[in-house]
Amino acid sequence: MGVKAALARLAAGAPARCFAVVGAEADEIAPWLRLDPELAIVDSPRAADVLLVLGRLDDEMLRAAAGVHDAMPPPRGVLSWSPRGERPVSWPPGGERPVSWPFTDDVRVDDPAQIPAACRRLRDELLSGRRASSPDTLPDIDPAPWRGVGPFGQGGAGMTGGVPYGRPLAARADDRDGLKLDQILVRVGPYLPPFPSGLVLDVKIQGDVIQEVSIPTPAAVAPDLMSAGAPSLTGERALFNAALTQPVPVADIEVARARHHLVWLAEALRVSGLEAYGRRVLKLARTMRPEAAEPVDDLSRWLRRNMSLRWGTRGVGMVSASRAAALPGGPVARAAGDGRDARSLDPAYGRLGFTPVVLEVGDALARWRVRIDEAQQALALAQRAGQSLTTPIGLVEGPCGPIGGDRSTSAALVTMLPELLVGMEWGDAVTTVVSLDIDMAEAALPHDAAVAGRAS
Amino acid sequence: MILNVTFWAFSALAVFSGWRVFRADSMVRAAYWLLVSFAAVGIILVLLRAEFLGLILILMMGGEMTIMAVFMVAFMMNPAGLNPMTMVHRNSVAIVAGVVSFLAVAALGLFARFPVARAPEGVDPTRKLGVELLGNSMLVFQTAGVTLLAAMIAAIAISSARGRYGDADQGSVEPDQMVTAPAGDVAAAAAHDPAPVTSPGAHQ
Amino acid sequence: MNALRVVIAVLSVGTVSVAGIYLAAWVDLLVGRAVAGLEVRPLDALIAPLRWGAATALKARTTTERPDAETWALAPALLAALAAVGLAAVPLAPGLLAADVANGIVLFGAAMALVVVAVFLQGWSPNSPLPMIGGYRFIAEGLSYEIPLAVVLIAAALPARSLAIAPIVTSQEHLWNIVRQPLGLPLYLMAGLGLAFWGPLALPGGQDLAGGSSLETSGVSRILWRLAQLLVLVAVAAMGAAVFLGGWLGPLFPGAAWMIVKTVILLVPLIATRHFVARVPTERYVVVSWAILIPLSLLDVFIAGIQALVAAR
Repeated sequence: MGVKAALARLAAGAPARCFAVVGAEADEIAPWLRLDPELAIVDSPRAADVLLVLGRLDDEMLRAAAGVHDAMPPPRGVLSWSPRGERPVSWPPGGERPVSWPFTDDVRVDDPAQIPAACRRLRDELLSGRRASSPDTLPDIDPAPWRGVGPFGQGGAGMTGGVPYGRPLAARADDRDGLKLDQILVRVGPYLPPFPSGLVLDVKIQGDVIQEVSIPTPAAVAPDLMSAGAPSLTGERALFNAALTQPVPVADIEVARARHHLVWLAEALRVSGLEAYGRRVLKLARTMRPEAAEPVDDLSRWLRRNMSLRWGTRGVGMVSASRAAALPGGPVARAAGDGRDARSLDPAYGRLGFTPVVLEVGDALARWRVRIDEAQQALALAQRAGQSLTTPIGLVEGPCGPIGGDRSTSAALVTMLPELLVGMEWGDAVTTVVSLDIDMAEAALPHDAAVAGRAS
Repeated sequence: MILNVTFWAFSALAVFSGWRVFRADSMVRAAYWLLVSFAAVGIILVLLRAEFLGLILILMMGGEMTIMAVFMVAFMMNPAGLNPMTMVHRNSVAIVAGVVSFLAVAALGLFARFPVARAPEGVDPTRKLGVELLGNSMLVFQTAGVTLLAAMIAAIAISSARGRYGDADQGSVEPDQMVTAPAGDVAAAAAHDPAPVTSPGAHQ
Repeated sequence: MNALRVVIAVLSVGTVSVAGIYLAAWVDLLVGRAVAGLEVRPLDALIAPLRWGAATALKARTTTERPDAETWALAPALLAALAAVGLAAVPLAPGLLAADVANGIVLFGAAMALVVVAVFLQGWSPNSPLPMIGGYRFIAEGLSYEIPLAVVLIAAALPARSLAIAPIVTSQEHLWNIVRQPLGLPLYLMAGLGLAFWGPLALPGGQDLAGGSSLETSGVSRILWRLAQLLVLVAVAAMGAAVFLGGWLGPLFPGAAWMIVKTVILLVPLIATRHFVARVPTERYVVVSWAILIPLSLLDVFIAGIQALVAAR
């Protein structure tokens, strides 16, 4: 097969296209994969060669991952990584057996730094035919047989009705002018790229207007960090949680905060269409230091001047002041005028002259501004802080909201989503969800886990 | 010679695609078969040296058939024909009416006296068409056209920002489903959605 | 019509298509890498589109549940054909015109109007919700692109007193249309970006739809869709060069060379907007188009009309 071999050799120079399935404990690794020149993280499994299964997934997430895998066209392969080297499954407390690992010949990687190279190798083997494509994991049958009852083979009386092959046809529902138009029920699954990994929504959509949103299982689709055998927290999460009970250098906390906001900004820019600029911001997030904060200032200036970003976010996803008061805190509340910030209670920050960044408007643009300004402020604080330490007061202001209180901000945001997204166009809904920066792992925590010391 | 072959080929296409409109189960396909039929007629007009008319026909029908397709998708429960359906009503009446109109138009085509000469060279059909249609009232028609466009835009702008139940960008809901709250407060709209998610923070 | 001239014209359209598509892909990569802060490596960027094509071609074509298979296969081919027809309406040199119709502007307009059909079919055929939304969006915005496009092209046709492109080019001998109708080219380029669903107006296939209308395509169809999209951009740039920048007119060099230079001058900024301007939401663009751009295009026509009246005295 001369042509195929030639194509395979040509394709070997291209970055490996991967679709990333991100579970728990993989959030230190997943965002940085976009920086690697050997990988290309794609939005759709139809365009991917390799399925990257990262972190720990529970039953529901694994089932969804199997579905995503089957959507990938052959030749396809699976590459998996989990924090302690075992198969990346977890199971709910109570000890039920996990669903069996669906992929039969996945490549397991132990060191996250090896992921890009292993991905590339796997892709080359697949395209050149040296390795067989990963087989289907789910049976390819219709959900239900189809037998029409009417004289022309249709399901119900007259011309319409029936549930062909187990899939309901579009219903008709009122739109705001009293017309009856098509309305379809769509499950927006755990791995849709603009949404945080693990967020599942049942959306009733009419055209491109969202009419109803419900969350099928209450925010526990993301794997539960407190399940049996839960490991210690790593990276940024460990740092913020450690600050609950012991003094931690202010500089470290603030740099971690700035980094989190910049990583969020990179993803938000990518979803807004500025993919290349998002990559630039991601590189900045990795290389920035408090002493050399000019690139972040330049970035902030550039974003302020960019009118097209303003068009996409101004007036979108309004969170009213009353709704913001219902949240535990965090940048979303501060963008709507609610000035609560756990750092205001900490005398160490008081000595550094800290005041929270508050805006009044409450739309997506305000949330963007709050986060960028907080990142700038965080770097300035880190530089001024020197060696000073935080005071453990039982409450720490994390990048998404206060940690250590009785509720997590992300859980509150997820419960707020159904009311917030109703009536929005799809694009505005995506902008809103991205601007809320929901941390699905935090959203899944049972509320009393937040006060227990978790780092083991 | 080439002209005749092209003419007969596109005529056959126009008739065939017109027939397919009624045999397709999928409404979107039906709309686009109709577009193919119109496009074939447009090509025939181009062959008749009425280039402007032919191309304008294709341009307009493209947009119109797409809008028809979208309306069918929006209003019908079965637009793609996944559920087989019958496309004809009152079959016998329709057949009779179809045959009668075909015979009438065919008679027109066969027995009317069309000019046989070729169109003269050097004639600008577009210009002649414009003068013929609009004559000395060209300015009137142009200003009327612009005025109509402005009126349409204004009407849509006035009526679409507010639906029957409130402003478009505030997720307007039917009044009987809202619980004693002013129209702009989306928090009260939660009462109409018996969401399975109940959490202490949801109704504050 | 001389058969040989027709053959040469068709071949030249083919060559310009292929070269234009490749140039567009190359420039997109270069600008993207520069903005992302990566090393640009122009030679590597020359082969990268071929690598992407090879990697995509080796994938099987997917099918979804109960798609409309014929229209799904038809949509990329239709888009490519329409873009080719649009390009064929542009005279590449004096006397080198593949589609020598007396109403070149109308032919271009008809080809661009039918782009809506191709994009809608690409979105509807896979029987999947996100591509369907992509298709809906393009229809919703279709007129917002087409009306300013048609009106500014008519304004450019007024000084030439003809709807054919060659007279429009020759009418710019003393003054290019970009100078005497300053509103024309910006409005035309915005409409062209929209019809090619590129950059700020990449709504059918945006990242918020996770790829939108091309979410479910894979294999050769995906390559063809991308090629067709780039070809639409090339056709838009070529027509803009002919109608606003004076086409083949220019000193010293042959007409075809000037035509190529001017097309590239328009193509590069069109491609580059993708990396500098964020995607504009549907509703906001529709409002801007109908409330601002269409009145501006009408103003453009009035200005052209007044100039024609004054010149006639």
